[in-house]
Amino acid sequence: MNWTFHNKSLPALLALMLIATGCSTSVTRMDAGEVKDLSGAWNDTDSQQVSEEMIRDVLDRPWFGEFTREKSRQPAVIVGEVNNLSHEHINVNTFVADMERALINSGKVQFVASSTERQEIRGERKDQDLHASEATRKQMGQEKGADFMLKGTINTIIDASGKTQLRFYQVDLTLISLADNRKVWVGQKKIKKLVERSNLKF
Amino acid sequence: MACRAALLFVTFALGGALTGCATYSDSFGTIERNLSTRQYDAALQDIEKQADFRTGRVLYLLDKGMVLRMKRDFAGSNQALEAAKSEMERLYAASVSENALSFIVNDATVSYAGDDYEQVLVHLYMALNYLELGQSGDARVEALQVDIKLREIGEKIPESKFTEDALSRYLTGLIYEELGEWSDAMIAYRKAYEAYNKYQVNYGLAMPDMLKHDLLRLAQRQGLKDEASRYRKEFGIEPQQEDGHISGQEGELVFILNNGLAPIKREKAIGMWVPPPVAAVSTSRTSGSRPHTQEKPAMPVLVNIALPYYESRPNNVMSARVSVSGKQASTRMMEDIDAIARASLDSRMTAITARSIARAVAKGAIQKSVDKAGNNRDSDPAAALLGSLIVRVAAAATERADTRSWLTLPANVQLARLSLPPGSYDLTVDLLGADEHVISTQVFPQVLIRKARKTYLTQHWVPVNPTTRGRK
Repeated sequence: MNWTFHNKSLPALLALMLIATGCSTSVTRMDAGEVKDLSGAWNDTDSQQVSEEMIRDVLDRPWFGEFTREKSRQPAVIVGEVNNLSHEHINVNTFVADMERALINSGKVQFVASSTERQEIRGERKDQDLHASEATRKQMGQEKGADFMLKGTINTIIDASGKTQLRFYQVDLTLISLADNRKVWVGQKKIKKLVERSNLKF
Repeated sequence: MACRAALLFVTFALGGALTGCATYSDSFGTIERNLSTRQYDAALQDIEKQADFRTGRVLYLLDKGMVLRMKRDFAGSNQALEAAKSEMERLYAASVSENALSFIVNDATVSYAGDDYEQVLVHLYMALNYLELGQSGDARVEALQVDIKLREIGEKIPESKFTEDALSRYLTGLIYEELGEWSDAMIAYRKAYEAYNKYQVNYGLAMPDMLKHDLLRLAQRQGLKDEASRYRKEFGIEPQQEDGHISGQEGELVFILNNGLAPIKREKAIGMWVPPPVAAVSTSRTSGSRPHTQEKPAMPVLVNIALPYYESRPNNVMSARVSVSGKQASTRMMEDIDAIARASLDSRMTAITARSIARAVAKGAIQKSVDKAGNNRDSDPAAALLGSLIVRVAAAATERADTRSWLTLPANVQLARLSLPPGSYDLTVDLLGADEHVISTQVFPQVLIRKARKTYLTQHWVPVNPTTRGRK
């Protein structure tokens, strides 16, 4: 029979199939600062860029000097809601946490626990009331009220044609004075990405 | 060269024989039986068996997400559906190797990325999951993704019947309205209005009255006087008929019935012996046929064309009635997935048939070349006959229709809205048959209605009669 001759190609074919399916997971460790874009969706790099930009901006602005001159103490800030109005399920907690960390560590601003955190702490304080010793018990009604609330939104505009997509992200953060609803600082960061999708793969 | 193709082809045919010849839809029977008796964990176990099936990964994830939401595990369902979405996105790039293989084996060798309507409905069900979890912000994200997806489909195939999804648009409107984004809600309702006009033409589904009232109410709220009077005239709604519901003090229940199961693809096979194709003769001639070889009369070629068609699954439930503390509301059909699926397959049938015929010709060419190799002077006639036979059997065995589709989708989606004062309610849902007789009753205890908010509740009804059977 003629085609037994071609059996030589069978091992090669099987080997090729094995390579194509892949046999093990490979993991490469990366530096957290390294830029790596995979799908074009919002990722850690965007989050870092936004928090860096915002932190740089927020401490340089006059609201901070004005407040410390007037009250001769550090302002206390609370993080309110950052609304995700974009088309992606974005985890806003990462860059809010980044900002919080940078602001607290700068030693210029104090942060007050957010409302969900406060509930938990109040529960603990109630528990202390019953079980902790007199010397270590913390009193209720001694919480520090915030002077400013940080709020914000993430918006996106998508323009797509065929396999090309233009993604425009805009993050707006606002610092609002709790005493009189004044907006004392508005920070904005824009990110633009061109995503090209491939039509063919092997 | 032709022989190598034949070898490759037989290898895959044997591979196909090992995994069983049943098409995708044939293997769904046990899952369906478990769903109808609400044994979701058992159904999930069966679905889990498809996890390693490479070309059907999207379907595995879609089915898993759908059954998890029947089980009311909305977070788990979203995880599975999100994975399905990214897999669909990955499959946006067509695989050259899979498509080449599909040319000689069958259409089912290409990874299933989901039909257009399936790709839109993923977002709809994810939005519903988020709404039932009370995360309207995340439901809004899905609504925006639906918009992007629909724009993409509209651009890709402008003549397609399915360029708008009415229910998704309507739900988008509800989401925006709850979040207080009035102008966006107005736009969404307008798109739903246009979509239902198309649905009327394409699928015979009339515009629901709810939408008419929503359009009118929002047009008035936004001060669009001309538009409001146009709607009033078109829908014949008198000013006193206008529902003043959602007074700001009341909450609202949005009940969604996922009714039945989407149609299932079956295959019809046509097998026939035809004269060898001309193309095969000409190629073998160019690959150096020896002048002294005695040409036997060419053997006829067995051509087997398998084409898919949709079969609706019988369902005796026509609508549902929601009763709560003396108030009642009946569901209204919002989306006829059965009709959408059928129309979608119809529009692709010409291409599927053309591909099948081309494939039959290619398989014929392979058979021809094997016959030719067997006719060479130094070969054993028995082996030659065996070779010819194997290739013929392989050709017939591999020609299967692509019967893959998202089978856990409902046949249609119905919706009822009921405004209620805030509080906790025990809700009774009666599923009604053709003459309004009650087929099944389910009570949802302690449904929480909040002031000026919408509470979403979905139920998926899977009829008890097992309608999926193996068919060859």
